[in-house]
Amino acid sequence: MSVWNYVVTAHKPTNVTHSCVGNFTGPQELNLIVAKCTRIEIHLLTAQGLQPMLDVPIYGRIATLELFRPHGETQDLLFIATERYKFCVLQWDAEAAEVITRAMGDVSDRIGRPTDNGQIGIIDPDCRLIGLHLYDGLFKVIPFDNKGQLKEAFNIRLEELQVLDIKFLYGCPKPTIVVLYQDNKDARHVKSYEVVLKDKDFLEASLSQNNLDNGADLLIPVPQPLCGVLIIGEETIVYVNASTFKAIPIRPSITRAYGRVDADGSRYLLGDHNGLLHLLVITHDKEKVTGLKIELLGETSIASTISYLDNAVVYVGSSYGDSQLVKLNLQPDAKGSYVEVVERYVNLGPIVDFCVVDLERQGQGQVVTCSGAYKDGSLRIVRNGIGINEQASVELQGIKGMWSLRSSTDDPFDTFLVVSFISETRILAMNIEDELEETEIEGFCPQVQTLFCHDAVYNQLVQVTSSSVRLVSSISREMLDEWHAQSGFSINVATANLTQVLVATGGGHLVYLEIGDRKLTEVKHAQLEFDISCLDINPIGENPNYSHLAAVGMWTDISVRIFSLPDLNLITKEHLGGEIIPRSVLLCSFEGISYLLCALGDGHLLNFLLSMNTGELTDRKKVSLGTQPITLRTFTSKNTTHVFAASDRPTVIYSSNKKLLYSNVNLKEVSHMCPFNTAAFPDSLAIAKEGELTIGTIDDIQKLHIRSIPLGEHARRICHQEQSRTFAICSLKYNPSSTEDSEMHFIRLLDDQTFDFISTYPLDQYEYGCSILSCSFSDDSNVYYCVGTAYVMPEENEPTKGRILVFIVEDGKLQLIAEKETKGAVYSLNAFNGKLLAAINQKIQLYKWMLRDDGSRELQSECGHHGHILALYVQTRGDFIVVGDLMKSISLLIYKHEEGAIEERARDYNANWMSAVEILDDDIYLGAENNFNLFTVRKNSDGATDEERGRLEVVGEYHLGEFVNRFRHGSLVMRLPDSDVGQIPTVIFGTVNGVIGVIASLPSDQYVFLDKLQTNLRRVIKGVGGLSHEQWRSFYNEKKTVDAKNFLDGDLIESFLDLSRSKMDEIAKAMSVPAEELMKRVEELTRLH
Amino acid sequence: MDGPSSAMNPNPNPTASKFLEGLPSRGLFSSNVPSSNPGGMRVYICDHDTSPPEDQLIKTNQMNILIRSLKLKKHKGEASSKDAKVMAVNDGLRKRAAEKAPDGRAPAKRPLSNSQSSSRQEGTKSRGADRDFQTLTVERLRALLKEKGLSLRGKKASIICSVRCLEDELIARLRGVNG
Repeated sequence: MSVWNYVVTAHKPTNVTHSCVGNFTGPQELNLIVAKCTRIEIHLLTAQGLQPMLDVPIYGRIATLELFRPHGETQDLLFIATERYKFCVLQWDAEAAEVITRAMGDVSDRIGRPTDNGQIGIIDPDCRLIGLHLYDGLFKVIPFDNKGQLKEAFNIRLEELQVLDIKFLYGCPKPTIVVLYQDNKDARHVKSYEVVLKDKDFLEASLSQNNLDNGADLLIPVPQPLCGVLIIGEETIVYVNASTFKAIPIRPSITRAYGRVDADGSRYLLGDHNGLLHLLVITHDKEKVTGLKIELLGETSIASTISYLDNAVVYVGSSYGDSQLVKLNLQPDAKGSYVEVVERYVNLGPIVDFCVVDLERQGQGQVVTCSGAYKDGSLRIVRNGIGINEQASVELQGIKGMWSLRSSTDDPFDTFLVVSFISETRILAMNIEDELEETEIEGFCPQVQTLFCHDAVYNQLVQVTSSSVRLVSSISREMLDEWHAQSGFSINVATANLTQVLVATGGGHLVYLEIGDRKLTEVKHAQLEFDISCLDINPIGENPNYSHLAAVGMWTDISVRIFSLPDLNLITKEHLGGEIIPRSVLLCSFEGISYLLCALGDGHLLNFLLSMNTGELTDRKKVSLGTQPITLRTFTSKNTTHVFAASDRPTVIYSSNKKLLYSNVNLKEVSHMCPFNTAAFPDSLAIAKEGELTIGTIDDIQKLHIRSIPLGEHARRICHQEQSRTFAICSLKYNPSSTEDSEMHFIRLLDDQTFDFISTYPLDQYEYGCSILSCSFSDDSNVYYCVGTAYVMPEENEPTKGRILVFIVEDGKLQLIAEKETKGAVYSLNAFNGKLLAAINQKIQLYKWMLRDDGSRELQSECGHHGHILALYVQTRGDFIVVGDLMKSISLLIYKHEEGAIEERARDYNANWMSAVEILDDDIYLGAENNFNLFTVRKNSDGATDEERGRLEVVGEYHLGEFVNRFRHGSLVMRLPDSDVGQIPTVIFGTVNGVIGVIASLPSDQYVFLDKLQTNLRRVIKGVGGLSHEQWRSFYNEKKTVDAKNFLDGDLIESFLDLSRSKMDEIAKAMSVPAEELMKRVEELTRLH
Repeated sequence: MDGPSSAMNPNPNPTASKFLEGLPSRGLFSSNVPSSNPGGMRVYICDHDTSPPEDQLIKTNQMNILIRSLKLKKHKGEASSKDAKVMAVNDGLRKRAAEKAPDGRAPAKRPLSNSQSSSRQEGTKSRGADRDFQTLTVERLRALLKEKGLSLRGKKASIICSVRCLEDELIARLRGVNG
């Protein structure tokens, strides 16, 4: 790999951090706005449910999100503050369908200690000011003027230093905040202040309460008419206003999120750390609070945000599990739960660990992540491409074509499956028991190969053979009419739709027939100069039964032509170039755009934009799908039409954001495909491959496919073993029911196909699984799982004891072979020169695998290296060891065989707190640190002095905005040897927000080109809310902020493809490169993930 | 709402059903078949100018809080009688000092772009400055005036003048610390 790296998101963040409901997109439209760390999603609430509208990238990590409505506005504005102290106020312009910036600014202070408990951003309910708590002891106020415009911000000194929560109170003549804080004796109190705008100072207000619940962490201001505030503790809930005080005890729980149900604030939903949803009711007599009540409703994902939507439907956003849409039922179900989960939204976050495997042995990587936390822990199998789930298959050799037919024109389902062979045609049908059995259609000719079949109007069927076109009744199954080809010329290719048939016979004859009731009529005949290789008349115009255009692929001059129907006039001729003839053409329409797809004999696919009025072909693009001839077919899944390209590497072509996307399918060598939508197996496909016929259903059409394996416990480390076809995980299970917080740690063995637990090894009390590795040792052919653990004693700051356990998988069981006690936590294990390299607290230790006299094996310490704070992450390459330290960045060690010693070679002297490291190549190492930055360092072997050689030079810096937990070499996509991107090495990373990203090392010239493109794109694609892309990607920690270098933002670069044509041209002009060329180069990059 | 009634008739076995009645509804989510349309999310590409209106690029007032409050008080004081002003200034200083004292430490001052060593230096400097502010009781104020060789007695007007001189120096010192 290289120093020039391209960082791109393969799976967007899914961790939901904030949500709110309001009229953002229109005065009458109710929206749910969801923040997923660096993106916001806008949904519309409709009678049918949640309708997704817009996914808006934000150049910052969202710290606070609030909807508010200044006086005189008809719709809500959105206030966003980012963790890097920028804020913006956004407004939706419905006419332009744009997000416009009402205000923005920088709210950082040159002095101040950032708050420990997170940033707080709140808006006065009467819209008099915005309050921000960003630094200890300071409260920032951004006042509104009476026109709803923001004025200069100022700070007020806040006496309370350990602030837990601040909220604005309702119904106060002056804006009033209530502050929940902890004093220096760790007692918690509530105080309130009026903000006096004139004096720019606080005035202490009457509401206060001392010595609250020690776990009090959350304030809920109660709206008018009641006013006052609810203080949510771990054991009590308290309501306070100037005159009233009410409290109720609750079952011990940590409330993570709340959502107000009623506008008057009499009911609230509370979500706790175990995912239990409670209803908090304020009983009142419309003026005065008379009491509080709390009821358990049921279980959801562990909520980070709760928004009551409407009609008993609630959005539960989660950081630790899938976000959910739940319905609150009036009556409990059998388990006593009032909560019914209506919909789940996949969340991969937090990805604690993952591995890249090729489970189906297809040469394509899949990522298996340890996702979620606590009870919502799961494994997720993330795969690029679309899966076919086999329902049934039969052995059938030599299939030459397949078509499905209906028993009547109005039947919504298919009944017959016509399978054509070289010298016969067989018909399969679904019987009453929903089994596929052979049947007959009397009017069809079974002794010859069928060239084409289709349903026709008036309950008829069409069969085309080499000699004739037969029209058959689908009711009586008898032949009604037949059209014979001119004698001496057999039919070579044919196509049809409900009302039309087009056949090509030898000698370049093209004959157009129309289907009437019991009648076939030859309408037009044309003589072309060459033979015809493929045809299509798929109707994509206004009439779904009739096409005005015919696409024809030609031999000899290698062209594709568009003819008008019914008169067979040539409209367009497009030479394809090259010597490969078109094998399949298809007229199709995606998202209202018409295309002509043309597949060549060598696995390439051309696509053109097709003008329905003029028949013109424009915007030619060429992609390589495989190496064998492709056959194209449309199919429908979830009411959307897609195209299946059958070849040695079958591909599904679909459209998203008006862009054609290609997704490979988890099958090989598919020769034919036809949709077979039966009542018993709706939306199924019949697939002919390698001597068998398979009926299967298809996954959702999307780029990444994710399968969830809920564990009910928190998986922290994962590792795959090819030889035993198993996964091993380190996991922990919380036991919320017991009074003491007990957690149990396990090593579990899972089957790599079914993902069932097949064996479990429980760890000791207080013992945590810290690392896991599948490896073998020199002089031993067995493959082992090695597990590193730590005894985490409550009274110790750092573990002082741990173990290395060596397991072998025998008969699907984990057998402990050897065990070695260590003097600390085993944070990392690596296979190293046939030995085991462990990182134990501040030490790197190398173990030999020794055979004892009695034949048993043991780990024996060989050598070690001290000198780290905590050696958390270790990667090796040859004799080199790269260590990521807790707080001392990256260091490079070398193992000296002769001396049997490990020595330090070089280190990066920056004080980075590492979260992951990886070796890109011999000289370049990649690190991620806890301020969400990525950086690369380079070994300086050519340095003149020892001092220079001992220093790892920082060569690349970039703000990713994501906390990376793991890097792994590998790729999510199938690497085709013939494509350029196949040669680009990649590293995959997984983050806390559920992002799966790809870092690709580019050649220098490509980097320079894309860097120029990125610079140009920054001028055209603006940051929402006026946030700057350059600033967002600049490396940023407490000590320094420097511009990104040697990293490119692939997300920005790939959004080039979503630009309008005029903007593309603008950029192309600035780059002095044709827009087509740019598109092609960017499209190639999108195939990296 | 069922709130009042439930309060009046406490049910020995309360169930959540009672409280889940009458959940707010505007007719949304009324269809029984929730639509699932995950593909419908459009990725927003922002190719228009997103800079805010000119006067809506918000900045923070950089004036030190102490100086601001002194200025505000001074401003206020000028409007009232001179007697009141002296009191206000003195009160203000005393109040500030009293508020500061329990904090027990200086607010961290960390210029963003400076290196660590220089920030440490600044830290000590700022601590020195802070000590001045924290101990700004009337006695200390008087002591400061004495140090500067200014008269502690005399007419009230002259005290005001002295305090003003001190203020100016404070401003100058703070600038030195922050700048």
